[in-house]
Amino acid sequence: MPGDVISRFASVRLGTRGNQRKEHGFGQVNGHHGEILQGIFPDDAGRLHRGLVTLPCNIVSSTAVFRPAPGNLVTVPDDKLKAAEAARLTLDSLGLHDQGGHLTVESTIPVGLGMGSSTADVVAAIRAVAHAHGAALAADEVARLAVRAETASDSIMHGDLAILFAQREGIVLEHLGPALPPLEVLSVNTAPGTGVDTVKQPPADYDDWEVQAFRPLRGMLRRAIRTGDAALLGRVATASARISQRHLPKPAFEEINAIAASAGALGIQVAHSGTVVGLLFDPRNPATARRVAEATSRLDTIGLPPALHFRTDAVEVRHVA
Amino acid sequence: MSLEMTMSQPLSRESRGFPDYELPRLVRLTDNLHGAAFFLMKLLPARHMLDRAAADGRLKPGGTICETTSGTFGLALAMLAAVRGYKLILVSDPAIDEHLHKRLLELGVTLEIVEKPYEIGGFQTARLDRLRAALEANPGSFCPSQYGNADNPRAYAEVAEQIAERLGHVDCLVGTVGSGGSMSGIARFLRHLNPDLHVIGVDTPNSVVFGQPDGKRLLRGLGNSLVPPNVDHRQFDEIHWVGAAEAFLATRRLHQHHALYQGGTSGAAYLVADWWARTHPDRKVVTLFPDEGHRYVATIYNDDWLAALPGWTGVLPEAPQPVAHPSDVRPSWSSYRWDRQTLDEVLAAANPAARDLAEAA
Repeated sequence: MPGDVISRFASVRLGTRGNQRKEHGFGQVNGHHGEILQGIFPDDAGRLHRGLVTLPCNIVSSTAVFRPAPGNLVTVPDDKLKAAEAARLTLDSLGLHDQGGHLTVESTIPVGLGMGSSTADVVAAIRAVAHAHGAALAADEVARLAVRAETASDSIMHGDLAILFAQREGIVLEHLGPALPPLEVLSVNTAPGTGVDTVKQPPADYDDWEVQAFRPLRGMLRRAIRTGDAALLGRVATASARISQRHLPKPAFEEINAIAASAGALGIQVAHSGTVVGLLFDPRNPATARRVAEATSRLDTIGLPPALHFRTDAVEVRHVA
Repeated sequence: MSLEMTMSQPLSRESRGFPDYELPRLVRLTDNLHGAAFFLMKLLPARHMLDRAAADGRLKPGGTICETTSGTFGLALAMLAAVRGYKLILVSDPAIDEHLHKRLLELGVTLEIVEKPYEIGGFQTARLDRLRAALEANPGSFCPSQYGNADNPRAYAEVAEQIAERLGHVDCLVGTVGSGGSMSGIARFLRHLNPDLHVIGVDTPNSVVFGQPDGKRLLRGLGNSLVPPNVDHRQFDEIHWVGAAEAFLATRRLHQHHALYQGGTSGAAYLVADWWARTHPDRKVVTLFPDEGHRYVATIYNDDWLAALPGWTGVLPEAPQPVAHPSDVRPSWSSYRWDRQTLDEVLAAANPAARDLAEAA
């Protein structure tokens, strides 16, 4: 069991360094904007896994504070059940079965849009508990705890690293590079006010052709990252979005795609288990400002004004609405 | 097969095979023309079809495989059957290459040669009848059916992956069409990443695949006397028909100019791809070379044999002859704007009677 392994390591750390328990532990993690690619992928041995490549969105985040105390684990707000479960699992993995405490989770990530709100709460909670006990958990350890807490997790515990992540196992299938090529993203929520229960959704039932079609998408993604080619990244994202459209259709998908194409976007990407769609632009292209403005006004006319506009490589942010 | 079953299927890499022989080597021929040169292209679809059949129980460990083929698909099956411990029965006809025949026997294949063509349906129907008899005589045996098995085109996702990873964005794909697996498969996968991909299929006169009347063909390994269900006609923007003499001459030119020692279908693909790349210098072209030249030492690579070919001129045409309809195709290199139509749509438009009626109306 991974938990037991973590527990052994953590015990060694605690044992050699003495009790490093702090009064407060702090954890934070950024959200994301859905995926560049999500599907079925073989590992090195040829075994198939569900996997995804996340599009980071560093302008939204979850923050957790953990104050260790004997007895029960109390979580505020008390509906953050997955975060509470993750905190419990983290305490157990540190060998602190009788330990409780007070966990507070705050998030600026919208819920139900497929932007990682659930995983972000879980990862922030794990980091806060670990931090409170002086345990430095590696991203892989955080991922395994997160998957145990919520069945399927996004890869945000790995930060901006470009990885192909098996979301139901918490393992990295392939290290693609230090980061995706930078992108400028115009974000549209295709189902405002409804949202999707991203956690309860059944995994997509891809057909035989789709299972194979993910291979060339992965091939082009490798090249896009290796050569920093944002245009290739846009092609991969659009192709993955098209497959996703068969499984979790986004309203107005074709209209948004047409607007992206006519405005000169690199392509579109979707939250494969959510409602947001991103129009992708190259931040290094001087025409991008004009193109973004054009796309924004066209999206306005179909009643889907962009809610966010951000760059993946900078903290600079402009809230459109 | 359900997705769950697919995901839990036995690992193909745990079975013996030839993974490093399956994918082509990519060779840059000119600024904008890339060749994908295979050792034996059919190894990839053969392995994939056997893997899938083994995964869902159609093919049992130590089981029997029956297929009708006189070409490289049979060789690929024979190689896999030899190392994976399957019994293989291949139905063929007297046209089978003598050296291939020996090689198949050495690999342990049971070779059933149909001696006489049927009066109606020729060797093709006679072979299918013999195949049916072999399947009945071996209950539980598996027939890969490369013409209709959807795992054939799907196998080529790995080639599309290699092309996408190594070449990135590609504007044009050129390749010969026989079973429909490689070109229909790769075209559909690459077009998912680039809807504007220009796809050129290369056929040969007297092949029915793209609407020619059936007839004797000297150029083997492309074209067909029937239309395989795996040919997805709507993937093709352009069709070219290349005759045997010019395909062989182009095969020699591929060797002389680019040092690639490939078979006759590679020459046909090269002729068309090189022309398109020259006339579209700003577009990136990739073309498929399905097998190596060693099997053609006594023929394509033999000047005396070439000179004795009917209609041999020793001169390569510079460009294809565009035709208004597939029914207008001549014995030498022709081209037709297929425009991603179905075969029925093209045939309806190409039917001279229908055309005359339309003109008279």
